[in-house]
Amino acid sequence: MDIDDILREVDPASQSIPAETRDLQALTRAWVSERSSPELLQYVHILPYPPIAPTTPVLTRRFPSVYSWPADGLFERINDRIKQQIERVEEMTGDMDPKTNFALIVIQTELERFKYLVRSYLRARIAKVFEKSIAATADLRARLSETEQAYATRHQALLHNHYLSSFLSAFPPTLQNLNDTAGNISMIETPDLDTAVFIRLLKETLVEGHGTDMDDDMDGKSGDIVILRWSDAKSLVDSGHAEVV
Amino acid sequence: MALSLPSGLVPTEVAFLCEMEMITIVPRQRLESIPMLSGKTPALRPPRRADLPLWLALLLKKQRRANIVPPPWLLPASLQEIVHLETNYDPEAFSPPPPPPMRSDGRGVARPYATTTRSGNEDKELILAPPFLPSCTQDAPSGYLPYHWLEIAETLLAHAADDIPNAPEVRALLRDLQEVRAAKMRASTRHLEGGGGVLNIRGVGAMELAESRGFVLGVVDGVRKLGASAEAGRREELERGDDEDESDDDMGL
Repeated sequence: MDIDDILREVDPASQSIPAETRDLQALTRAWVSERSSPELLQYVHILPYPPIAPTTPVLTRRFPSVYSWPADGLFERINDRIKQQIERVEEMTGDMDPKTNFALIVIQTELERFKYLVRSYLRARIAKVFEKSIAATADLRARLSETEQAYATRHQALLHNHYLSSFLSAFPPTLQNLNDTAGNISMIETPDLDTAVFIRLLKETLVEGHGTDMDDDMDGKSGDIVILRWSDAKSLVDSGHAEVV
Repeated sequence: MALSLPSGLVPTEVAFLCEMEMITIVPRQRLESIPMLSGKTPALRPPRRADLPLWLALLLKKQRRANIVPPPWLLPASLQEIVHLETNYDPEAFSPPPPPPMRSDGRGVARPYATTTRSGNEDKELILAPPFLPSCTQDAPSGYLPYHWLEIAETLLAHAADDIPNAPEVRALLRDLQEVRAAKMRASTRHLEGGGGVLNIRGVGAMELAESRGFVLGVVDGVRKLGASAEAGRREELERGDDEDESDDDMGL
């Protein structure tokens, strides 16, 4: 730590939230959203910001989705840090100094917490891939990361082959597909977008919601917790006015 | 299955989240700064107070390396005030959440702590929300329950009861609060039956949400499915109404 660091620490103007904390907030938000929303959300890392000329006014920029806040490679960054931290743990276990020992415990505890977050996030996504045959629709495929796409395709192929070998082969060829939409019933299971969710407003905004007996709107204040349909909440969440809780 | 939990955070996950809240401690031993994934911890020098995530504070507490400073809202006087607010002020709404924390920028301007914009970097604006707001440190306002109030209070009472002044009274007051608010949560479903589109439950806590998530969302979805045909009819009528208006205008009536 040199004098500049010390000065920066005491200067309130530059006292912003450290990048690591911001990443943790972004990861946590992505995890909570994925756990609580009925449909599969955009994978956090494949949404790079469109290259923005520095002169573009902020308001006119198009944000692809709220999950792109950490678009500057959040997942890669966190994975890199986890790897580095594991290396550090390996180095630290070498020396048996009791003083560093406690620091090691703390680091390992935190490492486990991070790994849990990442794992639970990915598992929540895979669970949705399992339930809804997402590999079949192009729109949903675009929300997956590359590895998830490969996984979803392979899973779908395995499942179909298994069905084919066990019973579908006895059917006439026209009935062997898994993506029929004949008779107004689609075989592709889609999530119910009207499922209700809880959201927390992050900014003041107008909240509009569709109801059975009437359509409502209200002036929301930041910090409000609102129950409404996911189809109504999605635009608010996407624009960063709210987060799913 | 990849994940055997139901949609929506379950109470254990909420407890995990609440352990990220920052809390103030008084260290009893020196401890150098530790390079963690979520940033460096402050170097601990007794008796200088420091803010740490709850999980780390509890670890230090269990090893008797630190004492925990309970957040101001967890003191009996503050809790009594909140109970009074909950029971007398509005029989339906929850007591308000804490106001957004502000911080001086050193030039006489108070800026919200929650938004972090670096100059020239507005596109990376990230609004902090619980558990990353400092709502449980010693600077937190008293008289307001933060989002993770129940979990924090329970954890502190379980692991650091000796640091909380008048713990038995705090426990009794918390139970009162819990009951009053649970009744409000149940009563809020009465509004859901009406079939309105939005319902604001400002001030509710994370654990209360997790507890009644299944019930509340079940009611909303049930009402929606029961009223689906009525709703479709109403929407059709609305559309037709719009069309008629237009044709009226066209004919100059």
